[in-house]
Amino acid sequence: MIEVHGLSKSFAEPVLRDVSLAVPRGCLFGLVGPGAAGKSVLLKCLVGLVTPDRGAVTVEGETVTGLDELALQRVRRRFGMLFQNNALFDYLTVGENIAFPLRRMGVTDEAELAERVADRLRAVSLAGFESRMPAGLSGGQKKRVGVARATVTRAEIVLYDEPAAGLDPVTSQKIFDLLRREQRETNATVIMVSSDIDRLLTVTDRVGLLHKGELLFDGTTDEARSSRHPVVKQFIHGEVEGPL
Amino acid sequence: MSELEAPTTDEAARPAGFVADVGREALDLVAAARSLWSVLTRTLHWTLRGPAEPGAAVQACYEIGNQSVFFLSVTMGFIGMILVFQSALQALRVVPDLTMLGATFLELLVRDLGASIGAMMLATRVGAGIAAEIGSMVVTEQVDALRMCGVDPVNYLIVPRFKASLIMTGVLIIWAGAVSFGAGAATAYFLFDVPVNTFMNTSLLDRGDVLIGLAKCVAYGAAIPVVSGWCGLGTLGGSEGVGWATTRAVVNSSLAVIVLNFLISSAGFLLFPT
Amino acid sequence: MSPPDEETLSARVGASAFAVAAEVGGVAILSARLVRRLFPPRVDGPELLRNLYKMGVRSLPIVGVTALFVGAIMVVQAGVLIRRFGAEGLLGWGAGFATVREVGPILIALMFSGRVGANNTAELATMTVTEQIDALSTLAIDPLSYLILPRVISMVVMLFILTIFGDVLALLGAAYTGQGLLGVHVATFWNGLLEAIRVWDVATGLIKSAIFGLIIALSSSHYGLTVTGGAPGVGRAVNASVVASATGVFIADYFSTYVLQ
Repeated sequence: MIEVHGLSKSFAEPVLRDVSLAVPRGCLFGLVGPGAAGKSVLLKCLVGLVTPDRGAVTVEGETVTGLDELALQRVRRRFGMLFQNNALFDYLTVGENIAFPLRRMGVTDEAELAERVADRLRAVSLAGFESRMPAGLSGGQKKRVGVARATVTRAEIVLYDEPAAGLDPVTSQKIFDLLRREQRETNATVIMVSSDIDRLLTVTDRVGLLHKGELLFDGTTDEARSSRHPVVKQFIHGEVEGPL
Repeated sequence: MSELEAPTTDEAARPAGFVADVGREALDLVAAARSLWSVLTRTLHWTLRGPAEPGAAVQACYEIGNQSVFFLSVTMGFIGMILVFQSALQALRVVPDLTMLGATFLELLVRDLGASIGAMMLATRVGAGIAAEIGSMVVTEQVDALRMCGVDPVNYLIVPRFKASLIMTGVLIIWAGAVSFGAGAATAYFLFDVPVNTFMNTSLLDRGDVLIGLAKCVAYGAAIPVVSGWCGLGTLGGSEGVGWATTRAVVNSSLAVIVLNFLISSAGFLLFPT
Repeated sequence: MSPPDEETLSARVGASAFAVAAEVGGVAILSARLVRRLFPPRVDGPELLRNLYKMGVRSLPIVGVTALFVGAIMVVQAGVLIRRFGAEGLLGWGAGFATVREVGPILIALMFSGRVGANNTAELATMTVTEQIDALSTLAIDPLSYLILPRVISMVVMLFILTIFGDVLALLGAAYTGQGLLGVHVATFWNGLLEAIRVWDVATGLIKSAIFGLIIALSSSHYGLTVTGGAPGVGRAVNASVVASATGVFIADYFSTYVLQ
């Protein structure tokens, strides 16, 4: 269970305004909204990468906001995260990138590491890519390596920031299907940020809509599809006419 | 004092008005000092207690040495020639005797200029390099990814460079000082007919000079990676942000060298009455 | 993060020599193209004023702080000699002369390079990687007249003015440190300085500062315009630009000291 209470954050101008949200355990939650709506910032607030101005975040009953960096390190072990720009370490091979979180959690047995890395690469259909460097991969391949790294620790909560941004429609759908399959297998709690609303709705259990820093909608995928709220309706159905 | 701003403030987003500006600047300065202090204490903490990244410090030593030895030799060589030339001309105005030229130059080099000008150059070369590398990792979210894996970026990115800088700053400055002295001796010999044996005169050098010089090497070597790493970690935005961070690293670490120079020189002056 | 490669030393020295020659040649070509735009002058007036203001205001605090400390440091160094020979009257000459003629212009130029030069490279490099420079060309706006020439002129003019400002502050810093640390009265300092210093000494320092300004302007623009490779490329360009500027400043200083004696 991830709970967010009255979260607010401003940089130059307000990015999040009084956002409250609850994501139950084992749920695949889709966070949607137009550009610059505060989606990435909200995601980063959940793991303490961004410190909110007001409000609280609790993960499985433990309050994350206000923890110091050392305590946050412990909390973050429960999480896996895929970053918007993948954030692969460009000086490490693909295999070492995926092994990195495991090494940091104290796994030192090289055979076990190699096995778990190979298993992850098979899951994202990149078997045998261990010794490649990230710079030589295509956009879709980098994304999939990012997914492999985010899921390698079998974290109970996984955050995906724009898992399909900049990819062609076929590759995007494959990525979304892969993430859904991963979630079913591990029964992890997943929060997925995307502006690719059509494909996202094919995999989510619940959906939240963030607009100009405010959470305008929070409900099941079916409720989102039939919502009468003008902004939600316009965004979900991709209409040109409307308040957006 | 815009130079001392926290890297996390946005220059574009300020309310107008002089009082608001001054207040904002003061708050920025406090925030900047706090975040710099935090980077410094974490660097020291991890250096003394933390698990070391195997080989990372050695790699950093190699990089610092390799990227700056040529640059440092050229600039310090020219400094040696300029100073000897200038002071010989000055001395000849007063007395036609250049026998103490080398001794005076050597004392000044050991006591101050070798370490201080050399460190200004290292702040430019090494400081900018550190900020550019770390800044690029910040904007591509690699630093966030490190934090998500339970790694303190200070330990992983700054500490190896800190250890390397402590060692290499001393090594490079001694080398560059020797180059500078050699270039000075050549200038004195070719332009003013001062024999090399006369120039190589250590009679004015004492324990205090050497201690002050070494203290400066250590202080500058510690300050440059901490200040420029702090600037790199505070990078905001895309490629422009990396450019900004690099600029800040050069200016702030040069400024750190100048301020430390003043403090150590003054302390040395009071501690070692010649 | 390049590992030591296995090329021979001579091959690497040769490669570096070619690389240096290529950059120097690039700066020379840029200068020639800029000179052509001076006859008749084709400079964007508003852009020139904007740059003058921006560069001046941005570097005022850093130059001020640097100058005060430089003056103070020079006094501490001269203090060693004063104490040795017991001649207080020489303090103004010893600290002030070197400050105005040599150390002041160099250190102010280095800080200016770090602040304004590096920033210039960062801005131009960002414009280059985001294709804004190409966009200007397609709008039939000459990037050299519109962007580069105003910046080059502003940097030369501003470093000259800032060096005057810095000289004054450095001497103030020196005089009051002399009183605080050595107990040499401020008036003694000024008398010592004014007796020994000639107008030509001050002028030498200022002529040098104009030369330094030109070097910083040309190399920072050159590296900004020739950047490749996204955000990491911008960082590398800024780094290369400040290194080239500092090297250029020291080499130019040697030759101008030689010529302007």
